[in-house]
Amino acid sequence: MNSLVSRFSTTGPIAELRKAKEVLGDDDEFSDAVWGSEAGFGSLANGVPKFSIPQVPDPSAFLRLHTDDHSDPSCRIKIKHGTTTLAFRFQGGVIVAVDSRASAGSYVASGTVKKVIEINPYLLGTMAGGAADCQYWETYLGIQCRLHELRNRERISVAAASKYLSNLVYSYKGMGLSMGTMICGWDKTGPAVFYVDSDGTRLKGDLFSVGSGSTFAYGVLDQGYRWDLTDEEAQELGRRSIYAAGHRDAYSGNTINLYHVKEDGWKFIGNYDVSKMHYEGPNGVGYGYDIRTEGRSSANPPATQ
Amino acid sequence: MECSFAITGKGYVIVAADTTAAHSIIKVKLDEDKIKTLSPHLLMAYSGEPGDTVQFAEYIERNIRLYQIRNTYPLRPSSAASWIRRALADSLRSRKPYSVNLLLGGYDTSTYTPHLYWIDYLGTLTEVPFGAHGYGSYFALSLLDRYHDPEASLEEGLATLKRCIDEVSKRLLVAPGRYKVKVVDKDGVREVEI
Amino acid sequence: MPDGSFSHPQQRSFNPYTENGGTILAIAGADFTVIAGDTRQSEGYSIQTRYAPKVFRLTDRAVLAVNGFAADGNMFVKKVKQRLEWYRHAHAKDMPLRAIARLIQTMLYAQRFFPYYVYNILGGIEEDGTGAVYSFDPVGSYEREACRAAGAAQSLVQPFLDNQIYFKNQQAAPGQSHPLHLPLSDVLSIVIDSFTSATERHIEVGDGLEMYVVLAKGRSAQGLEGGRGVQELTTRTDGDRVFVIRRELKKD
Repeated sequence: MNSLVSRFSTTGPIAELRKAKEVLGDDDEFSDAVWGSEAGFGSLANGVPKFSIPQVPDPSAFLRLHTDDHSDPSCRIKIKHGTTTLAFRFQGGVIVAVDSRASAGSYVASGTVKKVIEINPYLLGTMAGGAADCQYWETYLGIQCRLHELRNRERISVAAASKYLSNLVYSYKGMGLSMGTMICGWDKTGPAVFYVDSDGTRLKGDLFSVGSGSTFAYGVLDQGYRWDLTDEEAQELGRRSIYAAGHRDAYSGNTINLYHVKEDGWKFIGNYDVSKMHYEGPNGVGYGYDIRTEGRSSANPPATQ
Repeated sequence: MECSFAITGKGYVIVAADTTAAHSIIKVKLDEDKIKTLSPHLLMAYSGEPGDTVQFAEYIERNIRLYQIRNTYPLRPSSAASWIRRALADSLRSRKPYSVNLLLGGYDTSTYTPHLYWIDYLGTLTEVPFGAHGYGSYFALSLLDRYHDPEASLEEGLATLKRCIDEVSKRLLVAPGRYKVKVVDKDGVREVEI
Repeated sequence: MPDGSFSHPQQRSFNPYTENGGTILAIAGADFTVIAGDTRQSEGYSIQTRYAPKVFRLTDRAVLAVNGFAADGNMFVKKVKQRLEWYRHAHAKDMPLRAIARLIQTMLYAQRFFPYYVYNILGGIEEDGTGAVYSFDPVGSYEREACRAAGAAQSLVQPFLDNQIYFKNQQAAPGQSHPLHLPLSDVLSIVIDSFTSATERHIEVGDGLEMYVVLAKGRSAQGLEGGRGVQELTTRTDGDRVFVIRRELKKD
């Protein structure tokens, strides 16, 4: 028990040793970057992990040269891009809906990506931009949220969790991180949604959509949004908005993942195939324009006598 | 930034275009009409490279008029669309192509059917139930996938158009301030206020 | 200048990466996993070697396939193996598969600003005895899947796998449904077909094929033991078992 306490404490000999190590700049590449398990000896509370940096005059230009598929489609390391994610607050909690496509250039690298990251039973994070950046840092955020609980005997607020992430990614500004995320949850203040991105922007709000298909999602979402939506209406709106983006944005699609956050934590509502939604919808009525308007005509012939 | 929308409904086409004429960061004019009436039942909204737009639109306008003078009857919408597309396609292979995007809305009086054609500066032509050009299309198309009804009354159609304009005003950073809206149906062309 | 100096400042870009071709794939069954890769290593149009393994046994229940830049790949596998050995010394057991997957994520992400140019596919048996495949991007994003192809012929092989494993774009016969998992013999046939086909249509694929099979504890290895080109790599009895099956591919 004592060792557990001392490991997480900010004073005492072990903390002093830890600080000394930080000052000396521990060069061991396995020191902190591997917070998961240091050969089983643990290194959970060591603070922000360290990363190896190429020995070149401009490391971020180096990274950009080899990874940025917008400036150079032939570059070798393709980081997956393209997404539609949305989250909104309403009377019944928070709805989070995302697509599941990951593309590398024009290749559909995966159609089964989990773009909602379950930080803990009360917090969800969404993934847009670099898949690894979001997955890694939001998992890391989950660890820090748990440590907050252990230290303070109460759950972290959504505001604090999102600020932790925002400050963290801001410290890497200019290094090439790419994230556009929504931290969603329920705390003492009720339902909450915060938009956090790798520029360092952090916004509290009722409704956000992020990713290449976000404009298409907004088109449907804004027009159907009301604070007093019922749970079913809200879930339908989230699903329909992601469908709209999957239909119009080539970089979004495959399937929809839908979550609903309430007072007792988040609940996974379902996974919906975008093509199936087009033809059949969630309950027999297809979302597709041609399906919806089948048999309807704009021709206006005069009534025959 | 320039935005234009058009939607069909029961026996009509509504064409809307913003009324801003911009140069650099300046709005030079706020009430420019960018929708030409080509014939009694044909409307054309044009946008694109300043200079090219009006030059090309007037060229089309004069030739469609010439056809009507020579043949007594105007071209039907589908034929006019084909001719206009060809004019753009020929232009594309010339020394100085026109950079003009069009929405061509017409009412075919012989089949009692409204027609809407989406045409871009490359000479791409497609008949659509609704269409848009400019950044507004990124918001309007998904909205229209959801709300457009081919059998909507004019009032319903205008309400749907208003949804598009409101959405673009809400979300687009460089949204235009005002739009001119025209309707073509069996009675011809008229301007409406929204 | 004749003396070898320059009158103007010179700038050179530092390019420590190359692409060494080849393809890897993995398919998970109900209680087994197959992880396979060809053995050709090339750079541009030149074949450097006809036998450079891309698939490696990590433990009795985990196999890792690496594809992309061979030097980075070999380095990475070496480090993963080292970490797994440290784990063994600390805990007196092998690291579970899902933990290896998370370890690989953190190891890849530690190189976020100087990435290993490697695509990893990890296959093996989970603690609950089910077959599992984890696929990674170069900087560590990962997900568990039932099958995955990566590398030069990814875009040739993956659609075939989608059709044959997930039954994408296939309709089951009336009154019937597609099986959730295929038997080992069917999976091995699909893997061999994938590689012979990729060899036909992709210049960077060929020479040899190595298929690792991880069998869940207690599963009978019928047909595998003593089969043509089959070698067992299991270190301990009464646990999950690892086999490798080697086949020839066309060499032109």
